[in-house]
Amino acid sequence: MTAVTFSASDAVVDQAGDFRVHRSIYADPAIFELEMQRIFERTWVFVAHESELPNPGDYVTTTLGTQPVIVSRGPDDDVHVMLNRCRHRGSVVCRAEKGHATSWTCPYHGWVYACDGALEGIAQASGYPDDFLDRDMGLVPAPRVGVYRGLIFASMSATGESLDERLAQVAPYIDFWADRSPLGKITLTRGAHKFFFAGNWKFQLDNGSDGYHGNYVHESFLQILDRAGEKKVGDYKQLRSTGSVVGLGHGDGFIDRPYGGMAGQFEYHDPSLAGYHEQLRQAYGAERAQAILGQRNLLVFPNLYLFESHIRVIRPLAVDRTVVLMHPTRLEGVDDALNTARLRTHERFFGPAGFGAPDDVEMFVNGETGMKARSAEWVLMSRGLARESYEDGVWRGGHSTDESPQRSMYREWKRFMSSE
Amino acid sequence: MTAGEAEQLLIHECRLIDERRFDEWLGLFAEDALYWLPITDGDPAVEPSLIYDDKPRLRERIFRLTQTRAPSQDPPSRTLHNVSNVALDGRLVRCHLTIHEYRPGDLSQVGLGQQRVFPASAEYEFTPEGLIRLKKVWLLTRDAPQYNLTFIF
Repeated sequence: MTAVTFSASDAVVDQAGDFRVHRSIYADPAIFELEMQRIFERTWVFVAHESELPNPGDYVTTTLGTQPVIVSRGPDDDVHVMLNRCRHRGSVVCRAEKGHATSWTCPYHGWVYACDGALEGIAQASGYPDDFLDRDMGLVPAPRVGVYRGLIFASMSATGESLDERLAQVAPYIDFWADRSPLGKITLTRGAHKFFFAGNWKFQLDNGSDGYHGNYVHESFLQILDRAGEKKVGDYKQLRSTGSVVGLGHGDGFIDRPYGGMAGQFEYHDPSLAGYHEQLRQAYGAERAQAILGQRNLLVFPNLYLFESHIRVIRPLAVDRTVVLMHPTRLEGVDDALNTARLRTHERFFGPAGFGAPDDVEMFVNGETGMKARSAEWVLMSRGLARESYEDGVWRGGHSTDESPQRSMYREWKRFMSSE
Repeated sequence: MTAGEAEQLLIHECRLIDERRFDEWLGLFAEDALYWLPITDGDPAVEPSLIYDDKPRLRERIFRLTQTRAPSQDPPSRTLHNVSNVALDGRLVRCHLTIHEYRPGDLSQVGLGQQRVFPASAEYEFTPEGLIRLKKVWLLTRDAPQYNLTFIF
């Protein structure tokens, strides 16, 4: 009964009437390392939002997979993504989470890098050949960087699909998210809600667009809404039957709840919303405004979720350690009061002290414990297979609790993990 | 109010939390009270907080803890609050809080069976009647990634 390390292609079973993944993809450190190499270092990965870098010299530090990177706006106003690692002996050159700098000096031996990554100077340079500074000794850049609707993506691979090709199918849904602002412009708040949990990163991946768990994991929140007179628990459970789920190509997918049902639960419930809705109709027309206001918990595989109130960034640290960042969003072009109300509504559910998100995280650590049950090998993702439709590259679930988005994730996971 | 009287109030408050007498704890707060755990020093109208509860939201928090079954509080947290360094500063009472938290369970259950410590500084403001108008808690780790903060600070 000893568990074996499954090859990536065996770990996702995708056949008629059957879709499951092997427990080892959540538990095996070797598979985690392979994920970093074959997924995070090959595909386009979200690294930062443009509103975090308004001016030349602004930067944030983050990780691309598990590699430390700096994302900066250079003097040329371009966005640069580079490894946060001195070319000399490998120390990080920047330890701050965010800030403004014209250059970084490596704390170890004083090598100086400009905010676009170029090596500007070496302390006591006489120990090196005269042409040393002319060599390409800047911070190692991500070969490709791209921006779509303020979302900055980077790829550690010099070849492969362009960002436009990568996002072609999901872009219209990213547009719905960004167009919640009547100006089409989103900014992130400076602070963020940050979770740490002792579990695999894919528990958050699986959960973000899961329409099945809400009636159970979030029973407590539903009771709070009921008590507040906002919605009866029974009505809420009924509403979960509205809408659908969608799996796209490239691992992307979303819950698809039209406005008027579940949608709007994380916006502010107030008559003043009428003014906001009218603003959207003026900006985009009635039909598109209606579509924009739908609820989509949209995954851009492998590490970005776009929610009504925030963007969520999944940062894997190790096979059993994960950080999740929730950056609340502000809509440009609306009343400040609306943005404040959105923030208060966000805090009610999300964040480590909210009335909802900590209950999700508890499921992630429960899953982590469960994956130690080696003799039960499979995790089922077959819900709704028989009532799912497929047309033009879109899998549409027959019910909003079906697992179409999860199947899209693991089809893509398998595609990346199976290629040498 | 003297610093000594303030300290006695705060010790009483800690005791109500640690003994899970949450309805009595709620009764310590004025109707216009704010229970606030900031993340940054920014404007709370613009920047997210870990907790930014007015009295109605605080009632929801206690309702959730006492009347609903939330996975993040099943099993519930045990807490021990220590209050120290109490000093008057104009209308404010400043102090340090050291909160020990523990959710009982087998260590093989991820997330349970581990004692956690949350040092913080706090600012209180009281009404003339001695009710809490402001409880603002600056966690030492307020901007760090956190597991479960669903207990009372």
